[in-house]
Amino acid sequence: MTATVTTPGPRRAPRLLSKKAVLGKKAVLPWLFLAPGLLLALVFKFLPMGKGVWLSFFDVRPFLGDKWVGLDNYTRVLTDHRFQDAIGHTLVLGIGMSLGGIVAGFVLALLLEGQARSLKIIRTAVFLPVVTATAVVGEMWRLMYYPTSDGLINSGLGLLGMGPVPYLDNPETALWATMAMGIWMLAPYNMVIILAGLAGVDRSLYEAAAMDGVSLWQRLRHITLPAIRPALGIVLTLAAIRGLRVFTEVYVLTGGGPAGSTDVWMTRAYTLGFSRNDIGGASAASVLLLCVTLLFTVTVNYFRKRGDVR
Amino acid sequence: MRDRRRCIDVRLRRGHCLAAALAVSGLLSGTAACGSGSGSARAGDPNTLEVWTRSDPDSAQTYKRVFAAFTEKTGIKIDYQPVMNFDQQLQSRASTKDLPDVMINDTALMGSYQAQGLLKPIDPASIAGHDEITAKSWSSTVGRDGRHYGIPYSRQAMTLFVRKDWRQKLGLPQPKTWQDTLALAKAFATRDPDGDGRKNTYGMVVPGSAQNGYVAWWGASWLWQGGVRIIEKDGSGYRPAMDSAAALRTVTWMKDNLFCGDNGVIQPSALTSVTANTTNFQDGNAGMYLTGPYNISTFDKALGKDKYEVLPAPAGPAGNDVLADGEDIYFGARTGKAKQEQALAAFLISPEGQTLAMTGDHQPVVRIPVNSTLDAARVRGDARWSVVQKAYEDASLQFPNAPDWAPIKQDTADSLNALFTYCGSDVKAGLKELNDTLAGDLKDQDLLK
Repeated sequence: MTATVTTPGPRRAPRLLSKKAVLGKKAVLPWLFLAPGLLLALVFKFLPMGKGVWLSFFDVRPFLGDKWVGLDNYTRVLTDHRFQDAIGHTLVLGIGMSLGGIVAGFVLALLLEGQARSLKIIRTAVFLPVVTATAVVGEMWRLMYYPTSDGLINSGLGLLGMGPVPYLDNPETALWATMAMGIWMLAPYNMVIILAGLAGVDRSLYEAAAMDGVSLWQRLRHITLPAIRPALGIVLTLAAIRGLRVFTEVYVLTGGGPAGSTDVWMTRAYTLGFSRNDIGGASAASVLLLCVTLLFTVTVNYFRKRGDVR
Repeated sequence: MRDRRRCIDVRLRRGHCLAAALAVSGLLSGTAACGSGSGSARAGDPNTLEVWTRSDPDSAQTYKRVFAAFTEKTGIKIDYQPVMNFDQQLQSRASTKDLPDVMINDTALMGSYQAQGLLKPIDPASIAGHDEITAKSWSSTVGRDGRHYGIPYSRQAMTLFVRKDWRQKLGLPQPKTWQDTLALAKAFATRDPDGDGRKNTYGMVVPGSAQNGYVAWWGASWLWQGGVRIIEKDGSGYRPAMDSAAALRTVTWMKDNLFCGDNGVIQPSALTSVTANTTNFQDGNAGMYLTGPYNISTFDKALGKDKYEVLPAPAGPAGNDVLADGEDIYFGARTGKAKQEQALAAFLISPEGQTLAMTGDHQPVVRIPVNSTLDAARVRGDARWSVVQKAYEDASLQFPNAPDWAPIKQDTADSLNALFTYCGSDVKAGLKELNDTLAGDLKDQDLLK
């Protein structure tokens, strides 16, 4: 017997509100409710952000008068080899953490899906990294990565007869060690979103699949993954944003070192702004990050939409 | 209906993503651009001074005691703000052109603040008791234009903290030279000075991260002792000096013997350590630490006074100069409260103000007094402070204060950290590159000669 899957009919382009409704009370009401939030966002996010964009064209000297330098800050940032390295590290770290976090989150979600009380306790325990301050997590991982046999991970390696590894002090391994911590922090967050997606999967499909005797991989490939596509879309979008803005993890764990091997976009921008007092350069770096983040988000959304239509 | 809700969800989600993306990237520019304003109802009151210090909660208690005594004496109130992330907050306030009236912060930041126009120039003669501050201390507050931009408040010099009990157990003498230091460090790492039968001790603590320029701060004393200067005064300007033979010799020695030598001379993870997470000395697993005397109270509590000794730094090939730094009192530009500010500064440098700040149950905020009538060891009843005072007076050198030192320190730290990380690196080429970068920094400040 073959399970019949009802395919949804072609989706019509949604026409949410007619022209009349846009001008009517129904349209005004949501905006009224949104107004306080929008006002707060305007004052605390969008205006400072606009000011940041403005400052990126200046040599910022508040008390001596800002000097217009045009695109100099952008040129300086983009031609600085340390910044180029940092952009490379950001991409490697961002993509690695995002994909690693999604895969680990998906596996966790599959393992911990269900209604049993014990699962709830385990899920809560697994979720803890998300609610723990990143600075605390960073310090904890510094201790775990301690490069002698006193460190937790190295003592484990010692039991296997392998020598201690200087995870954070070796430029070859520091970025990967940071990525591992990032995945550890991100996976439970993704797990919760994917769990919500899994809860919506039609159980009868699993039953039908079981009767057909399909393999676990086929079940994942043809039932689970298509069903949680919207959840994966959200996770992917959030991961793209979070991956690029990675800061605290690196700042606490390695401070960008050793030898700049874990320097990322935000740590570089922070150093420019607050260690070198180059606010114009830091603003330019932030604006570039904004542009790339927008590009990433739009791209991910485009592919998500295209996937939905298909 | 279902279709409609789904569609709204998608729209919200998309909007949310956009907002999130904007918010993320706005974070830094927001921090830079959005000042908190003075936030004080008393900011406009001419009889209230807003004072900022870069202090943790323990040091803040000492400052509170000092300011309370000042208010009692003069009637001028103090709106006191201890600020941990001082520079970030100050940049925020600067962007709103509303600075604190008085700031107490590191001496090495003066050039940076002056370059940004954040400070009011000071006439030493306008501060009562100015003649009790030595010429050496006053000379460190002269800006690029020859005027003073700060008032000395506290000074310190690095000294060597050594586990006395370990040294005596191993029967080794106090180190007098770099070679002695190295031999002692190796002995601490290999001869089980704590007697627990395990190889779990290290010779020396090093905060060697480039973050905030730490390795340049810690390494400066070694550079001075090797006869190195990072930049040198040249007429009315400066020139970079990290391509000298002395720099090559000193940095090579540090790399070969401390960072790339035998395991255990310095603590593991030194290359990513800053002072806050470099706790091996007080944790009892490292035997030496070249650092500032502000650690004395911490080490007394963690180890006990009898366990360690405070020694002058051992000499290198060019002497035993150490890095001196400290804190200055700065007046924020355009505050219009000159008389009150001068009164506060006069109190802070007076024997009474300095003594209050050096004593009490909390972390003292004046290390070596700038008031020449006071003796640090006598005020505290602790002879170890005379070692620090002597090091400051006789064998110390500050970072040049007139240029904007922040980029110079950061570039030096980035370069040293990279050279110490890659043991096979070409020191000469690395220092040449650093020298070119420093030349660029000086050129940006119109100071390159």
